[in-house]
Amino acid sequence: MRALVSITVNGSVRDLDVPEEASLLSVLREDLDLTGTRFGCGQGICGACYVLVDGEAHPACRLRVEDVAGKDVATIEGLARDGELHPVQRAFLEEDAMQCGYCTSGMIVSAVALLRASPNPGDEEIRAALAPHLCRCGIYLRAVRAVRRAAGRTA
Amino acid sequence: MTAPAPGSEPKPERVETRIAVARDGTVLAFSGKVEYGQGIRTGFARIVAEELHVSIDRVRVELGDTDTAPWDMGTFGSMSTAVDGAALRKAAIFAHALLLERASERLGVETAQLHSEHGIVCAADGRRVTFTELTQKNALTGEVTALPGGRGVRGPATDVTLRLEALEIVTGARRYPADVRLPGLVYGAVLHGPRIDARPESIQENSARAMPGVLAVVRDGDFCGVVAERQEQALAAIAAMHAAWRAPQQAAGAPTDLTLYARDGVDRALAGAARVHEAAYHVPHIAHAAMCPSVAVADVRDVAADLYVATQRPFGLRDEVAQALGMAIESVHIHPQAMGGMFGRGGMNDAPLEAARLSRVVGRPVRVQWTREEEFRLSPARPIVDVTIRAGLDASGRIVAWRSSSRTNPFTYGGAGDSRVLAMTSGRNAVAAYSVEAMEVMLHVQPAAIRTGAFRSLAAAPNIFAIESFMDELAAQCGQDPISFRLRHLDDPRLARVLELVHRRSRWGERERDGRALGVACAVYHGTYVAQIAEIRVPSPGSVRFERAWCAVDAGRLVHPDGARNQIEGGIQHAASCAMFEELTIADGGVATATLRDYPIAATVDAPAEIDVAFVDDPAIASTGIGEPGFVPTAAALANAIFAATGKRLRDLPLSI
Repeated sequence: MRALVSITVNGSVRDLDVPEEASLLSVLREDLDLTGTRFGCGQGICGACYVLVDGEAHPACRLRVEDVAGKDVATIEGLARDGELHPVQRAFLEEDAMQCGYCTSGMIVSAVALLRASPNPGDEEIRAALAPHLCRCGIYLRAVRAVRRAAGRTA
Repeated sequence: MTAPAPGSEPKPERVETRIAVARDGTVLAFSGKVEYGQGIRTGFARIVAEELHVSIDRVRVELGDTDTAPWDMGTFGSMSTAVDGAALRKAAIFAHALLLERASERLGVETAQLHSEHGIVCAADGRRVTFTELTQKNALTGEVTALPGGRGVRGPATDVTLRLEALEIVTGARRYPADVRLPGLVYGAVLHGPRIDARPESIQENSARAMPGVLAVVRDGDFCGVVAERQEQALAAIAAMHAAWRAPQQAAGAPTDLTLYARDGVDRALAGAARVHEAAYHVPHIAHAAMCPSVAVADVRDVAADLYVATQRPFGLRDEVAQALGMAIESVHIHPQAMGGMFGRGGMNDAPLEAARLSRVVGRPVRVQWTREEEFRLSPARPIVDVTIRAGLDASGRIVAWRSSSRTNPFTYGGAGDSRVLAMTSGRNAVAAYSVEAMEVMLHVQPAAIRTGAFRSLAAAPNIFAIESFMDELAAQCGQDPISFRLRHLDDPRLARVLELVHRRSRWGERERDGRALGVACAVYHGTYVAQIAEIRVPSPGSVRFERAWCAVDAGRLVHPDGARNQIEGGIQHAASCAMFEELTIADGGVATATLRDYPIAATVDAPAEIDVAFVDDPAIASTGIGEPGFVPTAAALANAIFAATGKRLRDLPLSI
């Protein structure tokens, strides 16, 4: 069975004709060539595949395209505006809050959602927002510092 | 570009294998190492930029591509900066001298009167010639000799060079193997049994061939895979198949016993000791569990095979693919992509070989992406390590005898290897760095029930967990401060210095007054000296919080200080996760752990609030490795802190009270 659905991704309407069982993650990566959203487990546990759906952070591997019909989906590729990095992206860069980079897209997406909802979060709140994003390289301290830095700018 | 003959002296390098100037003035630097987050690309770029007097954005570092890089044994062992960085520095200094020589001929001015900046060689009278002009008609060539001078890299205290991949990473533009797109790319999956070496007795394909999107079912002996138009379709087709599996026929191999260190008189010294203490430590199998599961793209045609992969051993993989496909080595091209953290997993090239086999049959580029469940079930695990230590103390609390035995599995891929290799891998850091008159260290290596292999620092972290926990136990036996006790038994001033550094920075001396539970551990790993102190808290019975850590590191001269700091912080957080939470479940001769839910790893809420890293950064000492040392002492530091907090001595990992 196919899903014939229009979804809005990074501000553009995309008309899709994809297998209905395909996850949003698979569609973003394979059908829309938006590969910045990463596959880590396919079970919603590792956090690598988070996207924004109407401003809220969700694992794309747990969504089907029909779940986001009529909603605004934003991926890591859609965060920069007019060639300017989002403050969260800039902060991650400045804190070197990365090593292999595989978990970074997901973390940045959740941080963007956090700062929209809560512009001045304390450390506990930052840690909780980033908790779904597992990192094996061990950049948690830097990621928390990066979000703190970004909050300082956007507040 | 072939492997050196075994036992041969390293041949002098030719500058053209390391440095070239492109038409547009870009300086190209080549290394067979690969980048997986350690920051070596950035470090290498800094080295080359410094020695050629150009800005870092003029340098392009090409890593690990078997078509362009010099042969390399693989990226592991914290050797990239120490060994390859040194080779690049030497080649860059030589290249610069060669450029000045050429400019000297061109301009008719002595080299001593010339200087270069930003890729332009200038004479005092204002005449100039660019690197491009000097190399356009003939590339730099020649056998590299060691030349004096060179600027060296002095990392200032405020080092702000971003890692070169940073922008790609934060924008999502970075391309890992799963992101490679080739015309005609299709998706493959392999029918796997309960173990990587399980053999199918019979395979029922059932409806697989006829399922939506399936392009081929590939059968070749025990190998059975599917190629389909979409990933989900390949997985569904595999799920529709059924096979009966039998375990491998013979046992994996005989055990090996080695004496790593023996100095006479241990029995006599133990018999005469005022106090004897013994303890046994256990470290279970754990998983690499990197965030990027195994994945590879292979494009095999008649005349050539191109692989787009994540691997720690691109040249090894080239040989393996050539052998598996019956192709000449020259026809196989390995193109390392951006990679997820490797931690040793990338020495075993499972997905690339599977992709190559499938691509060869279907004649199209194939991507094989392992599921997370396959990654747990089939990947090599870190060996079990069991260490028993028996030591004798004299009346003054000095260690007079030490006998230890380390029992473990191979940390190498493809079997145990000879005893020198075993001592260096399964026996790494089994010999304590302390001066004890009578010491004996034994190693017993036997294959595990499951596949094992390399894991960050190999046997060092497990052995140091045992040794450094035991040192604290001995100190407690004779009522001595753990740091003073260690200092009493150290000859090496560099190890003493890092211990003293963390002592000071953590305010170790005031810990009891402040009510803080601190634990210390130290090690010398591949010439890098590292001391750590961990602070823990017990917020409620049965729970332990890792609050804070201090780490002092002497790795000689630093190349990229913030990159080094990131590696040490990362090693500590990684090690804390392994030590506090991780253990694979083994059942029926295989890994039963299937998901990240079964195998919790540390998340942000588990990370310490602060990690203080202090580097000795002595520019007079050649750089040693940074990738692994941070990982080595953490388990013991935590266990010792837990003892300080609770009086409970934990000798098994994962630590739980």
